[in-house]
Amino acid sequence: MKRALKFTALMLLSTLAIGGQASAQEKLVVSTWGGSFRDLIDEAIAKKFTADTGVKVEYITGGTIDRLNQAKLAAAKPESDVTFTTAHVGWLYANDNLFEKLDMAKIPNASHLVEQAKISPYHIGSWAYVYTIGYLPDQLPKGVSFESWEGLWNPALKGMISSPDFDPSHVMVVAAKLSGGDASNWEVGEAKMKALKPNYKAFYTNDANSQQLFATGETPVQVVLSMNAYYMQAQGVPIKLAIPKEGAVLGVDTMGITKGSTKAELAYKFINTALDPEVQAKIAELKKGSPVVDNAKVKPEIAALPGVFTTADQWAKQTLVIDAKLRAEKTGTWRKWFTENIMAP
Amino acid sequence: MNTRPFLGWFVSPAGLVAVGLIAAMLAVFQYSVRAYIPGTLEVGGFTWANFEAMLRPLYALAFWNTVLICFETAVFTLLLAYPLAYALTRTNSTALRSFILIVSVTPLFLGEVVRTYSWMIVLGNNGFLNTLLLKLGLVDRPLRMMFTSGGVIAALVHVTMPIMVIMLAAALSHIDRNYEKAAESLGAGPIRIFMTITLPLSMPGIVAGFSTAFAWTFSAFATPQLIGGGRVATVSTLIYQLGFSSFNFPFAASLSIIGLALSLAVIALLKKAASPLERMAGTT
Repeated sequence: MKRALKFTALMLLSTLAIGGQASAQEKLVVSTWGGSFRDLIDEAIAKKFTADTGVKVEYITGGTIDRLNQAKLAAAKPESDVTFTTAHVGWLYANDNLFEKLDMAKIPNASHLVEQAKISPYHIGSWAYVYTIGYLPDQLPKGVSFESWEGLWNPALKGMISSPDFDPSHVMVVAAKLSGGDASNWEVGEAKMKALKPNYKAFYTNDANSQQLFATGETPVQVVLSMNAYYMQAQGVPIKLAIPKEGAVLGVDTMGITKGSTKAELAYKFINTALDPEVQAKIAELKKGSPVVDNAKVKPEIAALPGVFTTADQWAKQTLVIDAKLRAEKTGTWRKWFTENIMAP
Repeated sequence: MNTRPFLGWFVSPAGLVAVGLIAAMLAVFQYSVRAYIPGTLEVGGFTWANFEAMLRPLYALAFWNTVLICFETAVFTLLLAYPLAYALTRTNSTALRSFILIVSVTPLFLGEVVRTYSWMIVLGNNGFLNTLLLKLGLVDRPLRMMFTSGGVIAALVHVTMPIMVIMLAAALSHIDRNYEKAAESLGAGPIRIFMTITLPLSMPGIVAGFSTAFAWTFSAFATPQLIGGGRVATVSTLIYQLGFSSFNFPFAASLSIIGLALSLAVIALLKKAASPLERMAGTT
């Protein structure tokens, strides 16, 4: 029995060792979401990075929280060199000592970063987007308009709307703003949020779920990720996006260097490449993500899209900003309140 | 002399896996009694607060909903799977047997997410069922089937069906057909033969299939999450919503512990309730 146990343990260890050797080859490993986001990074950033440095890029893909947990478990020996994540989740990486403090002198292109993309000393923006009201015009009841977020509360939309179940911060901060508050005193918007409950039909779990709810007409009005809406438009779903007068809720996807990376210099070059004005313009073209530098030359037809910001005026007037650090701290509270008061039957 | 020389070799991998699972469960329990600290993955000191929060009506309702959905799913799966399993084991036609086997087992080869998305297409406002009902003039506006418990149960029955068919077919194929022939020779009709011989003797399969379907459904996530659209709260969807999407791992862990305890308790109750039925089949 003892011999059998030893043998099995040896087999397990050797399997792990082989895995470890394979990952030690020369390359830059990027942790990112899968699907179209991985393809975007590969096409827009990695291609140029490899052409400039000769270093190949490999990917670890997964959901936001899965990768965060994975990074925490592998903290002593990180599996990736550069990590992409959303701005507020990036604060969780930073707070848990999973990101290196950035030496901005090694990222010359960051001198053009817009203020909204300077998230922390540990992570900076790679592209931006908005969560705003998306709708199918032919299924919109008469008299409903979205010049203001108030339009979402229109009783004519009873049982017609959805928003993400994984992050209610967008609607909750909007409700707070419409009630005279903001993210820091979100409680002032509780009654306003409760007034929105009858209009909800469902809550979507991910972008694919949101697409499906639009495509089948189940929820013709959604609080939706702009990049996802543009993807659906390209697939033939006639979605329109509104930018309400209060601004659309800004989201910034960010990059950081994983703590303990042995390829920090290459990681800096990769991040610098991501902020190259041409690369930023390509990101806008491929996925309709807003550039986060002020010197990207974006095609006029793309610059005109809601959620793509190319001027200081647009950044100032069309965005509703939730401080990423506050959002990281409040997400749990907001999520629980939303589940207990809005999603509960 | 060792009569089972390879026992250690065969058992040791399972033993190591069991140790890993026990360690994981202990880690989950350890998380469940720790305080949540907003803005970090670190957890705070010892607390029972996570378990105290379970007393709120929302969570009690979610646990009750889960048990109800599991029970209804198991009942409907049994009712639909039994005739299929019966035909599978009793037909003399190889072609029909192959057809039933393929129809029953194919869903196992598709992932739960794929099967669930298919059901979303079937149950939606513009989906197959509503389109059919509207064209036949049976309804004048689409029925709401998505985001309801009924929709979730329909999809879960499909997901659970292959397991139930396989377990029932195994039980039915072990019934000695001579009992049925003897009853027939004594003048019993097919319904009486089924009710007094086949059904009681297949009871071990029914109990095993029902318990498995119940436990299988208890842990289902993708189907209640996607078909329920956040409107049908179950233990697994709550764990996702409150734990993983808000980083509150201690609360998610406490939900998991209560969920595990509840499923074990319900299965133990089912087993106790089913023991007279199993005795009826002469297995105990």
